[in-house]
Amino acid sequence: MRRPLAVVVAVALAAGVAVAAVAASNYRPFAASAGQAVVVQRAHAGAAAPSFNKRITFLVIGSDSGAPKFGRGGSAERGRADSIHLVVVDPVRKQGIVLGFPRDSYVPIAGHGTAKITGAMAFGGPPLLIHTMERLTGIHIDYFVLTSFDGLSDMVSRVGGVQVNVDMNISDHAAGANLRRGPQRLGGAAALAYARARKSVPGGDFTRSRHQAQILLGGLATFQRQTKQDPARVMKWLAIMSDEVKTNLPVGELLRLALMARGFPPSRLRNVVVPGAAGNAGGASVVRLSSSAYPLFARIRAGRYG
Amino acid sequence: MVPLAALLVAALLLVTGCTSDKGEPSTTGQSQTSGTIAAAKSLRIEVRSSAQGPERAFNAKAAAKKATPNMERFLRRYLTVAFLDPGQQKTGWRDLLVLFDGSVKAAAKRDLDSLSLGSGAAEVKSVQPDSAKASVLFLYRGSRPAGATVKLNFEGSAEAEKGSGPVRLQSVFQVLSTPQGWRIAAYQSRTGEAG
Repeated sequence: MRRPLAVVVAVALAAGVAVAAVAASNYRPFAASAGQAVVVQRAHAGAAAPSFNKRITFLVIGSDSGAPKFGRGGSAERGRADSIHLVVVDPVRKQGIVLGFPRDSYVPIAGHGTAKITGAMAFGGPPLLIHTMERLTGIHIDYFVLTSFDGLSDMVSRVGGVQVNVDMNISDHAAGANLRRGPQRLGGAAALAYARARKSVPGGDFTRSRHQAQILLGGLATFQRQTKQDPARVMKWLAIMSDEVKTNLPVGELLRLALMARGFPPSRLRNVVVPGAAGNAGGASVVRLSSSAYPLFARIRAGRYG
Repeated sequence: MVPLAALLVAALLLVTGCTSDKGEPSTTGQSQTSGTIAAAKSLRIEVRSSAQGPERAFNAKAAAKKATPNMERFLRRYLTVAFLDPGQQKTGWRDLLVLFDGSVKAAAKRDLDSLSLGSGAAEVKSVQPDSAKASVLFLYRGSRPAGATVKLNFEGSAEAEKGSGPVRLQSVFQVLSTPQGWRIAAYQSRTGEAG
């Protein structure tokens, strides 16, 4: 009898120890032995793009030269500036403005008296156009970006077109434009035609300047959509840009700006054309900027884009 | 043991740092243990690369091949300091943060949990790499890579005080070539179970 009792006691003790151990392990979950599967790393997600602490201003220029496909020889830098936009971006407040200048704007050009602004680049390349624009507006320009007819149409084609809300029906033989009003994807040729159409559109050069900015903003929206789907598209866009535009942007800064641009809402960039009126100077038709242009420049200098 | 560890550190320095053609600083910090060094040595990164460059006269295949070894060294350095060396936490992840461009460094400091072992490192004794895969698209300017998009996936097994478990990273890095070597200028990154 003593032996079975001893066995029972031993079993009971062992069971008690086991239960106590299990209970203890339930109360001390982190005392598991090494090798037991545990969650070492919880789920986390993060994202960031380069931050800039000051506003950046680009001069975006479309040259009428350097486009062999359109029968326009010479170098883009020494052509006339057909399309002139100041793009002022405030990365901190995520707002800015695309300010278009009619190419016939009659303005002072250093060393050349008063002349159409389009000629400044032909006289002295992008540096003289930048100097002219800075003197006219009082806005410091950080970088220029220059392209040609070929460059714009090739760039748009190579990125697969840009989404633009065409704001009027256009049939312009001189520009090769035949477009219906409404949102649509413009290929290279159509985008260039929309950017060039002037003679048949109400508002002439002013409307054309607004349309050119629409293509810029459509390009930004397309860039954001494509790079959201595939982040590697950033490098593809930059490679295409390298082929089709000239700029004084260092490549590192270009890459940082492109990455920042992925998160900049196009709707926060106002599309504005400098106010002016058609006039005449020495028998040539020109655009004289209206007096309200100067307060507009002052507001932009002060960081007010609304 | 200490002389052996020192030798291994020296060897790793040669492998990961000094052979870099852009003078990448060494992977190893003073905090590294022999276990970390062994884990780093066993890290194999499977890199698939391609390149984007000027439309004309650009040999994408040759360009990708040329740029890949240096990128592989950079990614090895990243994974070593972010995952294989839990002691980095004690230094404030100094050797990891140096791999980020100044324009995102503050954000990276905030996002350490999604870029590395992060706050979990305190309980981790060691990490063994299981799998590391990278898909890289280089952007060439002239004869040199200027930037790249890197899709990086890493899986490892961590040994912690309370047991062992997986660690994971799933990231897209936009990297920039600088005089100091590759630097991460933008990222989208996830770690942990959901990775």
